[in-house]
Amino acid sequence: MSVVTVAVPSGRLLEGGMRTLEAAGYLTAGTWRSTRRLILPCADGAVRCLIAKPVDLLAYVEHGAADLGIAGKDMLLEQGRDVYELVDLGFGFCRGVLAVPAGAVETWERKSHLRIATKYPRITERYFWRRGRPVEIIGLNGTVELAPQVGLADGIVDVVMTGRTLRENRLVEVDEVFRSTARLVVNRVSLRSRAEPVAAVVEQLRLAAGAAGGASSRREGGVELR
Amino acid sequence: MSLERWQQIPPGTQDLLPREAARVRATVDAVLAEMARWGYRELATPTLEYLDVLVRGDGGGAGDRLFKLIDRGGELLALRPEMTTPVARLVATRLRDAPLPLRLAYAGQVFRGREIGPGGLREFPQVGCELIGARTLEADAEIVALAVESLRAAGVRPFSLSLGHVGVLRAILAGLALPEEDAARVRALLYQKDFVGIRDVLDRRGAPARTVDALLALPTLRGSAALAHARRLVEATDSQDILRDLATLGEILDAYGVGDAVTVDLSIIRDFDYYTGIVFEGHTPSLGVPLLGGGRYDRLLERFGVAYPATGFAVRVERVLAASPQEDDRWAPDVVIAFADGARDDALACARALRQRDLVVTVEASGRPWDEVARRALEGGAGRAVLVRRAAAVVREAGGSEREIPLAGLLELGRAAREPR
Repeated sequence: MSVVTVAVPSGRLLEGGMRTLEAAGYLTAGTWRSTRRLILPCADGAVRCLIAKPVDLLAYVEHGAADLGIAGKDMLLEQGRDVYELVDLGFGFCRGVLAVPAGAVETWERKSHLRIATKYPRITERYFWRRGRPVEIIGLNGTVELAPQVGLADGIVDVVMTGRTLRENRLVEVDEVFRSTARLVVNRVSLRSRAEPVAAVVEQLRLAAGAAGGASSRREGGVELR
Repeated sequence: MSLERWQQIPPGTQDLLPREAARVRATVDAVLAEMARWGYRELATPTLEYLDVLVRGDGGGAGDRLFKLIDRGGELLALRPEMTTPVARLVATRLRDAPLPLRLAYAGQVFRGREIGPGGLREFPQVGCELIGARTLEADAEIVALAVESLRAAGVRPFSLSLGHVGVLRAILAGLALPEEDAARVRALLYQKDFVGIRDVLDRRGAPARTVDALLALPTLRGSAALAHARRLVEATDSQDILRDLATLGEILDAYGVGDAVTVDLSIIRDFDYYTGIVFEGHTPSLGVPLLGGGRYDRLLERFGVAYPATGFAVRVERVLAASPQEDDRWAPDVVIAFADGARDDALACARALRQRDLVVTVEASGRPWDEVARRALEGGAGRAVLVRRAAAVVREAGGSEREIPLAGLLELGRAAREPR
C-alpha cells in the first residue's frame, strides 16, 4: 500500500532508467544487472521497481499498476495515454524520421498512393494528415527498414540514433517527424491519493535527472511532434 | 475455437450477471437516495438525442466521441455521452419557468462512439446531480459535500476528493501574456497533462524561469501549500479572489463535516472550455482512474438560451464497484416451497404471506419429487425447504432435520439462521 512502484522499460531506456534510480538513491549501483527478476525492491523499501516492455509501460501507469514510469516520448506520442508527464529525464535521445530509398528521394512525393511502414502508426497518420497527404500505413513491430527493400512500403517512419541502420539499408531521411527523450510519467490518481510519497519520488528523480545533465539535452529533446 | 456472432456482444459493452446487476442497482440506489436526502429529485431523459443537441452542449469536440445513428427521416441522432447536456436541454425547455435553484439527479446508461481510456467501455452507468441557478460558494460547497457523501453512500473506502479551480491555471497563463497561438498550444498540452511540453513552449517564449518552475510544481502540491504557492504565483486581483474563495470553500466544507476528505489540488485538469469555476475528482488508492468528476459550468445553459449558472458531478458506477470489496457471490432463497397434490392453493398462499414478510421465496416449478427439491435447495444455501400438504407442512432445516407443523405455524418460523454470507 505505501510502497511506490516505478515502472522502467526494458530495452533501449533500461540502462538510463536504472542509472536515474541509482542516482536518486533508490537502487544500489549495478544490482539490477545481475538479476532476471522483473520486480526489484529498492534500497529503502519505500520504492519498488517494475520492469516492463516499452510498449506496455504506459498501460501499467495509466491503470495505476505502477504509480510512476519512465517512458520514451515516442511512446507517449504514439499511445496518447491519460498520464501526467512531469519531467524530461534527458537521456534516451532519438529522432523519429521519415526515410525513403536513396533512389526515390526526388520522386516519392509525387506518388499518388504512398505506403509507409512504421512502428508508430498513430504518429505517422497524424503527420501525413496535417500535411493533407493520403497515406497507407503498414503497422510493423520490428525491422521496419526491411519494408522498402522488399516492396512492402515506399518509405518508413522510424527512430534513428546514429543513422547507421538507415545507411546500411540505403534509406535517406527526408524529414524529421519527432524527437524523443525519456520522460517521467505519473498516474493521475497516485499523484493525489498517495500524494506525499509519490511527490517525494518525483522530486528525487527530477533532481537525479538534473544532476546527470538532463537539462543540457532537454533543450534538444523537448520538441514535440511537428 | 472462435465464437459465432450470435454468441458475442459488441466491443466495449457488458452483460451483467445477477450478482453484478444487483451491485450496480444497489450502488445507484444508494447514491440516488443520498441525493434525495439533499433535495435532489431524479429525472429521466431519452437515451437518444438529436445530434445537434449534444454538439451544442459539448462544443466542437463532441463529434467523434458520439455514438451516432440516422433516423428514418435522415435526421442525425446520437446516444447520450453524458447526462449534463440532456439535463440542460430539459431545464432550458420544459423547466424554463421552474423556480431556481433546481436540484436534479439522474441515473442511466451513457455511450461513447469509440473506446477511450482505461476500461475502454462504450456503454456504462452514470449517476449524478446538478444544482442549477446558483452562482454562490454555498452552491459549490453543497455539490462538493454531496459528492463526498455520495461516495460514502456508495460504500467506497477509503476515498478522497481533489478540488481545484480552472481559473488558477488560466490566470497563471494569462499573466504570462503569451501570443494566442502559444496560449492555445499550452492549453492543449495542459489537457494532455504534458508538463514537459509546457516547459518547452514557455522556455522558448522566454517566460521567467521562476514562473515556469512554479507552474510546473503545481501537480505535486496539495492543500494549503498549493494555495500559498499559487498566491505567490498570480498577481491579478481576480485570481487572488479565486484563491481566497477556495480557502473559504474549505471552511464551509469543514462545517459540512467533509473537510477531511477534500484536498485542494490546483493541477486538476478537466475540460477547460466546459468548466468555468471549481473542478473536482474523487479517487481511491486502489484504482488508477477517478471515481467521479464534476465542477462548475456556468456557460452550458446559455447555449440553450437560459443563462443559468450550474454545478454538478457524475459518479462512474462501474469504477466504484471495481474499487469496492466484492461480497460472497452465494445467493439462495430464504424458503423453497414444494407442494403435494391438491395443496397448490395453500402453498401459493403461504408463499405470498412469507413474501409479504420480506422473505425471498421460490415455489418448485419443475415438478420434481420433494426429496430432490429439498436436497438441492439446502445444498444451494437456502434457509429452509418446505413441503406443503393439505393442512400441514413438512419443514426441512439446513442441518437436514425434518418436522411436520400445522400450516399456520409456517408464518411464525421467521428467517432461518444461515451461514454468514
